[in-house]
Amino acid sequence: MKPTWAVCALGGMLAALASAFCGLACAQGLDPATLLKPTPDSWPLYHGDYSGQRHSHLTQITPANVGALTLAWAFQTGQAAQIKSSPIVVNGILYVSIPDHVWAVDARTGSQIWHYTYPPNEGLHIGHRGVALYKDSVYFTTPDDHLVSLDSKDGTVRWNVVLDDVKKGYWTSVAPLIVRNHVLVGLSGDFDNIPGMLKSIDADTGETQWTFYSTPPPGTEGSTSGGATGGNMWITGTYDPELNLVFVGTGNPTPVLAAQTRPGDNPWTCSIVALNPDTGKLTWGFQATPHDTHDWDAVEVPVLVDGSFNGSSKKMLLQASRNGYFFVLDRTSGKSLLSSPFAAVNWSNGVDKNGRPIHNPEKDPARDGRLVAPDEGGATNYRSPSFDAKTGLLIVSSRDAYGIYFSKPEHGTVGWAGADYGVFGKAVLRAIDYQTGKIRWSHDLGGEGAAAGVLTTDSGVTFTGDSARSVLALKTSDGATLWHSAIGFVGNSPITYELDGREYVIVASGSSLFAFALPEMQKKIDRRQ
Amino acid sequence: MPRSLPYGLHASRKYWSAPLLVVYVIVATSSTANAALTQQTRKDTQQDTQASAGSSGNLPSYSPEQIQAGQALFAGQCSFCHGRDAGGGEGGPDLTASPLVAEDVRGEKIGPVMRNGRPDKGMPAFAPTDEQLAALVAFIHDRKAKAKEGRRRTVDVSDLQTGNPQAGIQYFNGAGGCAKCHSPTGDLAGIAGKFQGLELLRRMLYQEDWRATKSGGATPETTVTLHSGQTVTGRLAYRDEFTIAVIDASGWYHSWPRSQVKSTVTDPLEAHVELLGKYTDKDIHDVLAYLQTLH
Repeated sequence: MKPTWAVCALGGMLAALASAFCGLACAQGLDPATLLKPTPDSWPLYHGDYSGQRHSHLTQITPANVGALTLAWAFQTGQAAQIKSSPIVVNGILYVSIPDHVWAVDARTGSQIWHYTYPPNEGLHIGHRGVALYKDSVYFTTPDDHLVSLDSKDGTVRWNVVLDDVKKGYWTSVAPLIVRNHVLVGLSGDFDNIPGMLKSIDADTGETQWTFYSTPPPGTEGSTSGGATGGNMWITGTYDPELNLVFVGTGNPTPVLAAQTRPGDNPWTCSIVALNPDTGKLTWGFQATPHDTHDWDAVEVPVLVDGSFNGSSKKMLLQASRNGYFFVLDRTSGKSLLSSPFAAVNWSNGVDKNGRPIHNPEKDPARDGRLVAPDEGGATNYRSPSFDAKTGLLIVSSRDAYGIYFSKPEHGTVGWAGADYGVFGKAVLRAIDYQTGKIRWSHDLGGEGAAAGVLTTDSGVTFTGDSARSVLALKTSDGATLWHSAIGFVGNSPITYELDGREYVIVASGSSLFAFALPEMQKKIDRRQ
Repeated sequence: MPRSLPYGLHASRKYWSAPLLVVYVIVATSSTANAALTQQTRKDTQQDTQASAGSSGNLPSYSPEQIQAGQALFAGQCSFCHGRDAGGGEGGPDLTASPLVAEDVRGEKIGPVMRNGRPDKGMPAFAPTDEQLAALVAFIHDRKAKAKEGRRRTVDVSDLQTGNPQAGIQYFNGAGGCAKCHSPTGDLAGIAGKFQGLELLRRMLYQEDWRATKSGGATPETTVTLHSGQTVTGRLAYRDEFTIAVIDASGWYHSWPRSQVKSTVTDPLEAHVELLGKYTDKDIHDVLAYLQTLH
């Protein structure tokens, strides 16, 4: 039957109505295209955006008013595990995780919307970095190597796929990186001699699109890893849409401290690799530590910066690496522009013509011990640095640390294959001039251990935590303290977003999230000025 | 890999930041416990070398089911630091060689450590049910009974005999500057009888457990001058960017905002920190060889 005019008109109205409602209802999802230019009311990716700069353009909180910052809300998970993850915020909902748990909370108030609990499992529960969002799904990695897709509306499971076998010694803690419909997930595990990998999972179906091996499975023909396994990729990478390349750091080789069975440089362990997200093919690799024998993963955030270097315009990649070196690469080619220590380093024989530190066998773990800087925890670790373009500073939580490393044939050639002990460390926040590698300012963090990640904003404020028990706001230009609050040791990397005209800064301490903002009254005063 | 330490060790590892640490800090304040609980552990001071063999053999046996349940729990919660086989992981000690495990009967020693953590060493507290605790204890004792000689993380006294004691004396009295504070007939008299091997080496490099000593030891002496001009002298109890605290001669804790007082801290371990950047590995082994002669 032919539709009558009236029916058509009614249908059109209904369709328009439906679309209006859908507009409201569907607005809760995340269009992956918006990831290219995140809105100020969101923090939709692990690093806030694809660059890894962990820098916000928000300016409500300034050096002049940050002293008035106050607690807007707190969210307590009620679990024992420390929050190490970086939350994601989309459409007024904040998603935060610890191993086996995800919460969606109201980003304005901290009240819980839903809580997802993964079943008990024997995967390693050492930490969790965060979740990822795409359309109306939340992606969550589990200790036993599953990737779970949850409905972001209510936390129900859409699908659950196995990434690899937990029995082999893998676990997962990474916050996935979303590029179009690719969910990029790296695995963890260096207690066994297993290959490191990054997998691309179809965001809609859960099917594996490709797998990149940083070290090929043993027996692979033409392998260049020199017999090394390992090189796991346990920190979220960054993405350059123009080059269509993702940049991801790789972990240490295995066996970890004993290297007699893995001669050579052991690529691509302790490296930064540039991959095509559609195919997983390697475009280039740069090894931060050739032939590592000290557990110095090069997984720290590869920060993407476009700017001037020695007078010419460059597309760069910056990394403050766990081995104590700060690297600047041309990210179109992977060629070195600068390599310079940013913390105590005594393990190398300088830097070669390609910008790679030169391995010094005298500092390899030995039967009678070798005193090595940095120690196993490294000159920095997984918590994020921040890049501030106005000052040209990469601000990183660093440590001058010494450890003593042992290895002997009796320790075998599987997994750790040695022993090491921390001796001493001192934590310092350092602001590195990216064009020279020089430290422009340092801020003593008052402890020996790793401290919090770093966030900078366009107003010239740097947020981080010290190694004692305070969250700090510092002046980005000189590192002077502007504000602090003794909420306990900050365990994650701070984020920020603005909702209803109010800028929130979120940090975690222990098992709680804390949201700081200016008092409503202060905002009115600032507006009048 | 990571370790974020439980802490931030990855897994970071890494490290926890303890409240304490660095040069001047002191631990003893409970206020720091929270931070430590949440961090990763790295600083175990238990000495693998002090392992005593055996001993689990006399204990009642555990059921295979219980051991298996313990293994699963251990893998998820403990293995990052202590290894899947309890033989030591990243930062945490080899439990099969632990004196505490050797003395443990049915969890009486292990249980409190698990439930309270060891904040001063970076171990977080856990909240196992009684059943879970029993399973974990069963697994740890089972691993201990089955652990072979030559565990992977052991450092034996015999491994550390590569130094030259004569060269060590020279370094001690000369370039190292050790004699400025230490004497073989004074504080170091008989040191070789008190500590051996790895424990002696670690104490020599940087004695990290000084904070626990109530008297003696290398506790930073602190003098705080108040606005009124009054001075308070005592052991450093806490210090961060904003607060300084001492424990006075009568044992009471006092704290002040650092912005309102002047303070001076004399840390005897500063010289040890400076040496870390100067030592060659040969220097270290020579000085250790010398210390081993001080019976």
